[in-house]
Amino acid sequence: MKNLAPLCNLLLTIMLSVWTVLLWNPLPLAALLALELILIGYAGQAGKLARPVLGLSLVAGFFAVIQLPFDVAIPTAIASGLKMMVMTVAFLLLFATTKLPGLTAALVKQARIPYEYAFLFTSALRFVPDFLAESQAVREAQTCRGYVPSRNPVKRLISYAALVEPMVLRAISRSETMAMSLELRGFGSARRTFSQQIEFHGRDYLVLTLLAAMTAVVVLYR
Amino acid sequence: MQAIQFEDFSYHYPKTGTGLDRVSLEIPFGSFTVLTGANGGGKTTLCLAMTGLVPHFFGGSLSGQVLVEGQSTAGRSVAETAGGVGIVMEDYESQLVSLTVFEEIAFALENQGLPAALIQTRVSEALSAVGLDGLEQRELSALSGGQKQRLAVASVIASQPKILVLDEPASALDPEGAEELYALLAKLNREQGITVIVADHDLARALPYADTVIVMEQGRVALQGKPTDVFTKMLTDQVYAAAVPALRQLKGRLEKEHPALSDWLNVDAAASEINALLSPKRRLSLSA
Repeated sequence: MKNLAPLCNLLLTIMLSVWTVLLWNPLPLAALLALELILIGYAGQAGKLARPVLGLSLVAGFFAVIQLPFDVAIPTAIASGLKMMVMTVAFLLLFATTKLPGLTAALVKQARIPYEYAFLFTSALRFVPDFLAESQAVREAQTCRGYVPSRNPVKRLISYAALVEPMVLRAISRSETMAMSLELRGFGSARRTFSQQIEFHGRDYLVLTLLAAMTAVVVLYR
Repeated sequence: MQAIQFEDFSYHYPKTGTGLDRVSLEIPFGSFTVLTGANGGGKTTLCLAMTGLVPHFFGGSLSGQVLVEGQSTAGRSVAETAGGVGIVMEDYESQLVSLTVFEEIAFALENQGLPAALIQTRVSEALSAVGLDGLEQRELSALSGGQKQRLAVASVIASQPKILVLDEPASALDPEGAEELYALLAKLNREQGITVIVADHDLARALPYADTVIVMEQGRVALQGKPTDVFTKMLTDQVYAAAVPALRQLKGRLEKEHPALSDWLNVDAAASEINALLSPKRRLSLSA
């Protein structure tokens, strides 16, 4: 998938999700999951994605089991768990194999999505590590001031205000600086170019053909 | 034509009202200027006014004008002004908007509509200039504070501005990182002819490089001129005197008895001159 055009990877992810929605038989769903695992291995991302996939399988298993007391048939419960897993793994695979700027460029230039929306998506991901570091710093600062999260879930939820409030204020200040930075760097310019290569090649067209054929098979034989 | 010129410029923020009060100053091309003054003195507002963010981004009322490379900031968009003047803000981490080093530097260049090959060249050149070669694919979250600061500088100089403004760039750096940053700015100033304007409290750090010092007080320019003259004035008039480097304070005291001392740009120069002033007997007792 690393050698495919970003839009081709995105379409593959979307089609995997579409097939998952259409299918209710655990066997083909398991086959799709197997296909995804093979693709993860082929893309050399097994080491990176092993833990999240394992964690997901536990959640999916729990999701399937929790339906059984509500008179849901076993195959349906298993299919539900598999659906959740296949869809999520598809997106994990997409983000592990596709560079976000390439994806942004593809969304803007090929899918004709306004750049502002595509940028919103990538910039949100940019600030995740900062946000985590900041929440840790705020928690430590508030702990120094005597903050101790209660064991009572309601009290715990209320006490989170001590963490959320400074983080929101900081986020507002940060967003102002970011807005200035964007303004200074000509964000929203109509003449924008992209330095990423996103053009389709022969292999991309081959994958698209296979996707179309597979979709036809799923629609006919589901 | 000056790099930056403030002509009787006053500005008031829409909510707080405070800002700049009848500022007039000229910053020539190729100079290394240090802005200093107590917090709230107007340093950051002055920096933002040079980029056009004041008043375009903040609103508020103004009189007079700011000329960047001979053109009024009021008549141009922030992005247009940014073509000639780049700024590294105090909260430089929030200024970085991309996931990797390459994307961060390429961001402004892509917005300018440059072709991919030229962007690649400019990114490599900018990284080389700030000493971050080979880190193109490094994620921002994996960079140290000093590296992020350098990246912020690289992302600005990639657009090849003639003027570089930095607002308290060393406030979050350790002494070694701050020293490296100033050495980098001096190199950009000397080798590429970039006009550098730095707002900072630590004048000792900037002393070896600065050719002009401006002291801000309550939104006004209290003092401006050559470092030696400004430091003397700061001490005699007690204008932000605590910020005068310790070496300069000592020099001020010695000059009462020995008025012909040199500029003391660094500790070594000061030491050799002090040594020469000491009596041979005292010198011998100190070395023993």
